[in-house]
Amino acid sequence: MALGADRYATRGDTLVFLSSLALSLVAMSLPPSFRDAVASGMRRSVLWPLLQLQDQTEALRTSHAQFVQVSAQRDSAVLAAAQVQQLRSENTQLRDLLGLRTRLGVGFVPAEVLHQAAVTDRLTLVISAGSRQGVRPLAAVVTPDGLLGFVSVVDPVTSMVATWAHPDFRASGMAADGSVYGILRPSEASGPTDWLLRLDGVPYRQRVPVGSVILTSGLGGVLPRGIPVGSIVGEITGENDWERTYLVRPAVAPGSATHVMVLVQPGQGDLRSAFGDSAGRRPRP
Amino acid sequence: MKRDTVRFWSVLGLLVVLQFTIRSRLGNERVAPDFLLLALLIYTTRSRPGASAAAGFMVGLISDALTPASFGAGALAHTIVGYLSSYAKAVFFAENLLVNSGLIFAGTWLRNLIVALASGKFAGPQLEWELLVWSPLEALTTAAAGVLILTVFRQWLPIRLEEP
Repeated sequence: MALGADRYATRGDTLVFLSSLALSLVAMSLPPSFRDAVASGMRRSVLWPLLQLQDQTEALRTSHAQFVQVSAQRDSAVLAAAQVQQLRSENTQLRDLLGLRTRLGVGFVPAEVLHQAAVTDRLTLVISAGSRQGVRPLAAVVTPDGLLGFVSVVDPVTSMVATWAHPDFRASGMAADGSVYGILRPSEASGPTDWLLRLDGVPYRQRVPVGSVILTSGLGGVLPRGIPVGSIVGEITGENDWERTYLVRPAVAPGSATHVMVLVQPGQGDLRSAFGDSAGRRPRP
Repeated sequence: MKRDTVRFWSVLGLLVVLQFTIRSRLGNERVAPDFLLLALLIYTTRSRPGASAAAGFMVGLISDALTPASFGAGALAHTIVGYLSSYAKAVFFAENLLVNSGLIFAGTWLRNLIVALASGKFAGPQLEWELLVWSPLEALTTAAAGVLILTVFRQWLPIRLEEP
């Protein structure tokens, strides 16, 4: 096979190169809606078998670990199941007595994170659940530790998640006791291993102690209230600022997230109780 | 000749499969080898710069479809890397293992540099650590994987690993 020793670029090579460059620049300047449509079309067509292959591989990898875990939980589940019916009937009776409507539980869709090789993988993640599983745009994506991001694009069997590290991420946050509210967004002062969020817009007269857990406030109606986002690690308020700004260490590391839950029921109410253990736990670095 | 071509494309196909199967098992996502880029760089060993640029554009578009935070940046980066890789091989001509591993290392780092800058999503210490720590580590593992692939499939690839 020829090694191509005379393979210096010809005029045709240069033309193809410049055309490819031009197309790349066109792709970069596409409107977000058209760009997402093109990317979604590729994921649904040429990339679909490869994403399915990655999904199956991830499922295979976790199946063994899940088997061991399920076996360990089985005995506990059997014991607990014996009490579930009794608790359910008691619960229903109490609700009837109080005249409250039976509240629906939090609906969620489990999914696996299909990590990619690009350096921007932490900003947007592909997950193995799409519209066929009930995922919808702007649905919150969480792990047991807290908020990972929200669904930005939905395909039939996969979805794209914009994580909290994405430059466009914004969320209304509050202290766990509801005393302080602010706007959460990625911090440019993040370090190499610790990507941080910042909590802007806190009134100057209000202080938030280091270590305070920050939750989603539910304002705006996109993200449900009460999902842990992270904890305060410091303040970066300037001397002449009119409001306080805090650095928040996120509860979830996008790079290490392997399994997530997509909240698919709008208006889940306050989810603080669902994350009760996580909210008090120090987030992972 | 036809058999060589089939073998060559088989290796590239194997690398694509590896990207979507075992890559996630090879440690941290930031430093695991990028088999898709490796396939592109191996493809450039037998292709003209124009075809390499077009192949780079396609690989980049695939990368962009999977991480649309930087849509277009991957296509731009892979186009440039594909073209330069093919051109560099023609200029250097010394197609031995060391040169090829060096080209893979440089290609991976350059790809990440262009994506990081063109996407505009990184700034300050994030950009510095991405380019000075994480990208070199990924380039190192990709080059190591490249050495392994070139050694194992030396008979199947049009690369001369030893000097005559």
